[in-house]
Amino acid sequence: MHLKGLFAVSALVAVTTLSVQASADFNQSPMLASEVAAGKLPPVDQRLPQPPRIIETAEPGIYGGDLRIAMSRSRDTRLMTVYGYARLVGYNRSYELVPDILESFESVDDKVFTLKLRTGHKWSDGHPFTTEDFRYWWEDMANDPNLSPLGSPALMKVEGELPVVEILDETTIRYSWSKPNPFFLPALAGPRPPFIYRPAHYLKQFHKTYAAAEGLAARIKKRRMRGWAPLHNSQDNLYDLDNPALPTLQPWTNTIRPPAQQFVFTRNPYFHRVDSDGNQLPYIDRVLMNISDGKLIPAKASAGEVDLQARSLFMSHFTFLKQSEEKEKFRTLLWDTSLGARIAIYPNMHVADPGWRELFRNRDFRHALSLAIDREEINEVIYFGLAEPSNNTVLPQSPLFREDFQTKWADFDPERAEELLDGIGLDKRDKDGVRLLPDGRRLEIVIETAGEETEQTDVLELIHDTWLDVGVKIFTRPSQREVFRNRVFAGETMMGVWFGVNNGIVTANMSPAEFVPTQQVQYQWPKWGQYYETDGKAGDAIDMPAAQELFDLFRRWQTATSEDQRRDIWERILQINADETFTIGIVCCTKQPVVVANALAGVPREAIYAWDPGAHFGIYLPDTFYFTGPLN
Amino acid sequence: MSGDRPEDETGSGPNKPDAVPHFVSDEPFNADVEVVLTPEQEKYYMASQWRLMWWKLKRHKIAVAAGIFLLLLYLIAAFAEVVAPYELQHRDARNVFAPPQAIHLFHEGKLVGPFVYGYNSKRDPETLQKIYTPDPTKVHRIRFLCSGGYKGSEYEFWGLFKGDFHLFCPTDRRSPVFLLGTDRLGRDMFSRIVYGSRISLSIGLIGIVLSFMLGIVIGGMAGFYGGLVDNLVQRLIEILKSFPRLPLWMALSASLPAKWSPLLIYFGITLILALLDWPSLARAVRSKLLSLREEDFAVAANLMGASTKRIIGRHLVPGFASHLIASASLAIPEMILGETALSFLGLGLRPPVTSWGVLLNEAQNIQVVVLYPWLMAPMIPVILTILAFNFLGDGLRDAADPYK
Amino acid sequence: MFRYIVHRLLLMIPTLLAVSAIVFVIIQLPPGDYLETLIAEMQSRGEAVDQNQIEALRRAYGLDKSPVEQYFSWLFGLLQGDFGWSFEHNRPVSELIGQRILLTFVVTFSTIAFIWIVSFVIGTYVATRQYSVSDHVATLIGYLGLATPNFLLALVLMYLANQWFDTSIGGIMDDEYRNQPWSLDKMLSVLEHLWIPVIVIGTSGTAGMIRRLRANLLDELHKQYVVTGRAKGLHPRKLLWKYPLRMALNPFIADIGSILPEVISGSAVVAVVLNLDITGRMLLDALRAQDMYLAGSFLMFLALLVVIGTLLSDLALAALDPRIRLSGGTTR
Repeated sequence: MHLKGLFAVSALVAVTTLSVQASADFNQSPMLASEVAAGKLPPVDQRLPQPPRIIETAEPGIYGGDLRIAMSRSRDTRLMTVYGYARLVGYNRSYELVPDILESFESVDDKVFTLKLRTGHKWSDGHPFTTEDFRYWWEDMANDPNLSPLGSPALMKVEGELPVVEILDETTIRYSWSKPNPFFLPALAGPRPPFIYRPAHYLKQFHKTYAAAEGLAARIKKRRMRGWAPLHNSQDNLYDLDNPALPTLQPWTNTIRPPAQQFVFTRNPYFHRVDSDGNQLPYIDRVLMNISDGKLIPAKASAGEVDLQARSLFMSHFTFLKQSEEKEKFRTLLWDTSLGARIAIYPNMHVADPGWRELFRNRDFRHALSLAIDREEINEVIYFGLAEPSNNTVLPQSPLFREDFQTKWADFDPERAEELLDGIGLDKRDKDGVRLLPDGRRLEIVIETAGEETEQTDVLELIHDTWLDVGVKIFTRPSQREVFRNRVFAGETMMGVWFGVNNGIVTANMSPAEFVPTQQVQYQWPKWGQYYETDGKAGDAIDMPAAQELFDLFRRWQTATSEDQRRDIWERILQINADETFTIGIVCCTKQPVVVANALAGVPREAIYAWDPGAHFGIYLPDTFYFTGPLN
Repeated sequence: MSGDRPEDETGSGPNKPDAVPHFVSDEPFNADVEVVLTPEQEKYYMASQWRLMWWKLKRHKIAVAAGIFLLLLYLIAAFAEVVAPYELQHRDARNVFAPPQAIHLFHEGKLVGPFVYGYNSKRDPETLQKIYTPDPTKVHRIRFLCSGGYKGSEYEFWGLFKGDFHLFCPTDRRSPVFLLGTDRLGRDMFSRIVYGSRISLSIGLIGIVLSFMLGIVIGGMAGFYGGLVDNLVQRLIEILKSFPRLPLWMALSASLPAKWSPLLIYFGITLILALLDWPSLARAVRSKLLSLREEDFAVAANLMGASTKRIIGRHLVPGFASHLIASASLAIPEMILGETALSFLGLGLRPPVTSWGVLLNEAQNIQVVVLYPWLMAPMIPVILTILAFNFLGDGLRDAADPYK
Repeated sequence: MFRYIVHRLLLMIPTLLAVSAIVFVIIQLPPGDYLETLIAEMQSRGEAVDQNQIEALRRAYGLDKSPVEQYFSWLFGLLQGDFGWSFEHNRPVSELIGQRILLTFVVTFSTIAFIWIVSFVIGTYVATRQYSVSDHVATLIGYLGLATPNFLLALVLMYLANQWFDTSIGGIMDDEYRNQPWSLDKMLSVLEHLWIPVIVIGTSGTAGMIRRLRANLLDELHKQYVVTGRAKGLHPRKLLWKYPLRMALNPFIADIGSILPEVISGSAVVAVVLNLDITGRMLLDALRAQDMYLAGSFLMFLALLVVIGTLLSDLALAALDPRIRLSGGTTR
């Protein structure tokens, strides 16, 4: 779990894949062999790049089969980009960055990035994948005012500065900034990566610079678009995989135009990975994605109608799934999750009412609230006792974890809570035992939820009782996700309930942004986050010493040059978060049920189900999963 | 046909009250003398329309039973705090997803009065399911008309004054009684259904009152004035009727400001249900008015110089009020169902508000059907209520025209 | 006759215009717009929001214009047969509706047929046996469907079908037929799934129909000509079938216009539970995601169907029943 050397001081580090003898024999799926025999495809060694990426596999898998998965919406075709996880650089199972599509990459001080492509790598339609595809994106898309009305994406800007892009040859490209851009490589390895390359040969037909005027005009008319830019955009979704004609680099490519009730993804004959024995991946020929209402997916899983499923399955379905395991021949695994807290309460530091604002900014008040939660009971009643009481912080799997971060101010101690509340001038109570604010109002807090899952209202019901015992009355108000967010942003919401930080399994080299006021979606301090996100154009400047210290640490982390420095900064950030209890985490370490057909091999028994880093199944490389026994 | 030739009607017609004896006068017939009614006859001939309707309705046994049942339901809703053994928010963390307990009378051959067996529970290590079995050694007697003294027994009646009196309650704090089992937080389903009835039943009543006012005013205007007004109203009705109801409900309830308190949302939803319900009423009012205003008595009133308002209010509305009540009783169940459908779609009332729709929404997945079927219990009162309203409505409708 | 039809057609124009305005207001009512839904969804799963993409979308969809402008451009599009663009599916609305129309018709018409048959049988039966035990029992059965919340009934039936007949969970056919051309097996698979939605949606519509048929038939049966017929010794069956039943059947035809929106509403909820790929469900999704042109055009399309349906049913009524004269306004 250490990203060795990658960010080392002034070091020029190259990570390359093992080289493979060019003469090695490669094997392919019988499905493709017949097409080669029929002359429809070139032979496998001409389809693979030199060298291909070799995935170490214990034993070779078996070709063939249809993998059935279920998704809740037509738009979820994009999850196949997530699961496929073909990235320029990607995380391996130990969360180290390794080249994937790239043959190698170099980073000098996080300022100069040199990317080297694999020779002979091809798009799924057989057209060569070269630096021209990178150039096309950078010059003709990211810097075209029609396609990018707001200029190139934030990732490519370091304090407003764009990189110098040099194309060294057909397979080498270099991006250089004058200041470090530590977010560049992790972003490329993300579940939704910025695609800094596009299939230029395909997209040029929709681009004004390249396409013949009348042909383009006819296309625009036919598709009823308002111009060429919307047309180009609608054809170009490497992430969404909604255009079957768009070439990709993923292991499976979509063949059905949305919307549909079933999407069929067939293997990409030019996919660049092979197993240890030289068998071209993926093993599985097709992925069938059936679109079903999210509420039906657990039922479908328990009826044996899917082969691999985690999305739309929750712990509450576990018993139900377990029951039909034997009959329908599947197993239900429990993977760890990466959320810093499954559920957390966010006191809004920007709430419009000054009385409440002052209270929420009072550390003792937040501590008292945290101490008055019986996390063990919540764990027992709602999470089958499988979770752990915890603050909203890093998880035990993280090298930065300290027990103290997880438990500080998180034990159940109503007496101490009452002392704290008494100590900050909330010592008067009315006849119902509810405390009174100094201005005489009752200590009644409205906690809002996005109103999607009963889990949140259930937890609040339990909290309601223990808080009332210490004289704090809460009302739960469910709303809708967008409304909820906007109300928090505007300071209309007193407290919100949401998940904890997305990634609790962090290393010192990953950005601590989630623990620092940097994003508007951080519901405890949205205006400070917005201030950072908009370079001070909107939101408020930080006016709280502890938060300011966090922010200064974040700045130092960005320019830190050694892993040790970064670790020290991280620890300080986590310590401040634990001391201040900005967000009140409830439990962590909940599990994600994963349904796997018994016939499906290669799926790890124990793993972490996480979005970023992890890309759900992505880092476990579903292209290496295969069917044993009878194919469905 | 209102009694101007009584001789013809006393002895015949299907609706003759049984109490009238056969009557033949042996006096010579004299056309100049006014027929004198016996007190008996007078009772029937002079009976108000409502009385006649009631007599007719009484013969419709099912409708009467349905009416009594509904009355009972509304009583329960009104006294929910007393009927439910547990207060709405009460939960028992040790008994989560506990199945319903059967009520027994005899324990080991001895009569103990109504009691339930306590639970033994353990968690299945494989499926993590908590499995409950009745423990024959734990006999929990049910007390009736009792004062609580256990956790969850105290309530605030109508939010006004505190109380502790229940229709029935468990013996003490350690012997829970869950007649319909508990939900995922260990809340008593029976109590939740009882409390839920308050919202579900009232939403129909309030809704129908609103839709009535709209329907009568708009339909009345159309029917009485006719012409342009009538035409406009007709178009409006046609437009509203040409929409599928549900999407309209959906769009409207999605636009209720989320910052509203649950109470306001409740009224908002009621209003939405009413807004889409009035056209059919208005149409009925209109057509009835159209035919009634041509009747002699309306013309007579007009000739005698009665104002429009008076004619509608005094002469026409009473003529079809009974019909309106019948159609109202048929419209209420639609509103109750509408509330459940909206809750199901996540657009209606939401927890922690408790209505039947909210309860059913929580039961809306297959694992409940398979593992915890008792969570579907709120379906039973919904079905019964709607059936009752329909039967009552049918009876009222038949009775609405007492001379027929 | 001709003048009447022209009159009615002309009346449809202001009606539909009013409908379009109401529809547009309704789809604009919920706070926020599609892009906000999109942003919220992306952020909630931790995806970075590409402001460029959002801005490009905002312009492409014309969401930067005022609502009034949006309304008129949508209306003029409608007049030219352009139903607008679905944000969610990134395709023209007409294509989306077209794709689903076949299955929608199958479900809708099977349901209406179901309602007709069931209510005809029960309605006739109970009307001839007023206030008997069998009247009450049959009525009870008819009402049970109305009283059971559709979504729960659908769920339970789906589960039972899966347990007893091994019918796949959800969908209008087995997954493997979804991208196949039509074949006998595929049709059988559709039939295997079709009965659940038809029963669930249908049962909620039968109660009203039974009630109307019963009332109408009772009215007819008390009329003089029936009494006369009976007095003259006509066979009771003929007495029922020859005229009264025919007259009492009017609501079947007269109510096509109002049954259609009911069936579509019902099918929307059931389609969500059963995961049916029919238009009703698409409408709900579109309303939820604030995919305004999809939702709006679809509602318009329905309104048009209903208005035309009403006209046709009026004409059919007139043809069937010579006593009904065609004059201005609706005759129902």
